[in-house]
Amino acid sequence: MTGAKSKAVSGSALIALAALSFALSYAHLGHASIGVALLIAAFKAVIVGAMFMEIGREKASFKLALLAGAMLLATLLAFVASDVRLRDPPPLPPPATAPARGI
Amino acid sequence: MSETAVETPPTHDHYATLEQQAAAVKIALAIFLSSEALLFTGIFALIVAYQSDWPNAFHVGIGHNTKILGSINTGVLLISSTLVALAVDAQREGRRMLAGSLTLATALLGIVFLVIKMTEYAKHFSDGIFPGGHGHFFFEHPEHGLPTFWSLYYLATGLHALHVTIGTGVLAYRGVMVFKGSLTHSLEAAALYWHFVDIVWIFLWPIFYLA
Repeated sequence: MTGAKSKAVSGSALIALAALSFALSYAHLGHASIGVALLIAAFKAVIVGAMFMEIGREKASFKLALLAGAMLLATLLAFVASDVRLRDPPPLPPPATAPARGI
Repeated sequence: MSETAVETPPTHDHYATLEQQAAAVKIALAIFLSSEALLFTGIFALIVAYQSDWPNAFHVGIGHNTKILGSINTGVLLISSTLVALAVDAQREGRRMLAGSLTLATALLGIVFLVIKMTEYAKHFSDGIFPGGHGHFFFEHPEHGLPTFWSLYYLATGLHALHVTIGTGVLAYRGVMVFKGSLTHSLEAAALYWHFVDIVWIFLWPIFYLA
């Protein structure tokens, strides 16, 4: 498959996966819906990284710089996940009539 | 204009070869994109943490979001990412006109994305949804955590739109240079940045519009 053809096929696959995500958003999967949607998103990101950014064909130095970033991301997400899982539940909202303000 | 490859550019003084210079640019770009990924991951982490605290408020927030417009924008970015990847291929093959056309088409789709995004913001504002939990929407929907959802939405999508704006400008400039034959270096760096912007949206879309 030529480079242009493989990229066109990859683009079509990305659109198809986006359509699948959109359709599944109406399937009422409950708490699993965010997990499924992010799984499809991760698959799409892999296609973009592998086929469009051609990371596999880059030099080791480029991959090493990306790997360092990926390790920092994993560390950050691990700490956030452990915090969310282990901390106490948030306080109940005050019994005021005015809506609470966000961040 | 002919479909011929441009001349080989000269290297900067501190590089021995063109390959060495290109490799240095790639490493710098990888470090830059990694730092950008950290920035957006910090925001994603915030979203995940608050969503675990207030899942119902996030569900209500997503239900009031502009799902169709956000989904159209997903298609726009995916197509634009495909076009710029094809532009890089065309440039490698020395097909200057095609490379320039595809790069400018990508920039045009970037503008389309921004116009749709502004339309979404205008709709939110008319519904009384402003950052920080301001607006009549929050009096009508007093769910705790809803202001946080919309503040995170404006933060994440606004920052992403800023990146789209920068990427669109860079691609438009590069596209014109390719057409004129004055771009002597590869389109790869601009394309890599655009793919990164695409990947960020790939994750923002389900979080704020679908889940």
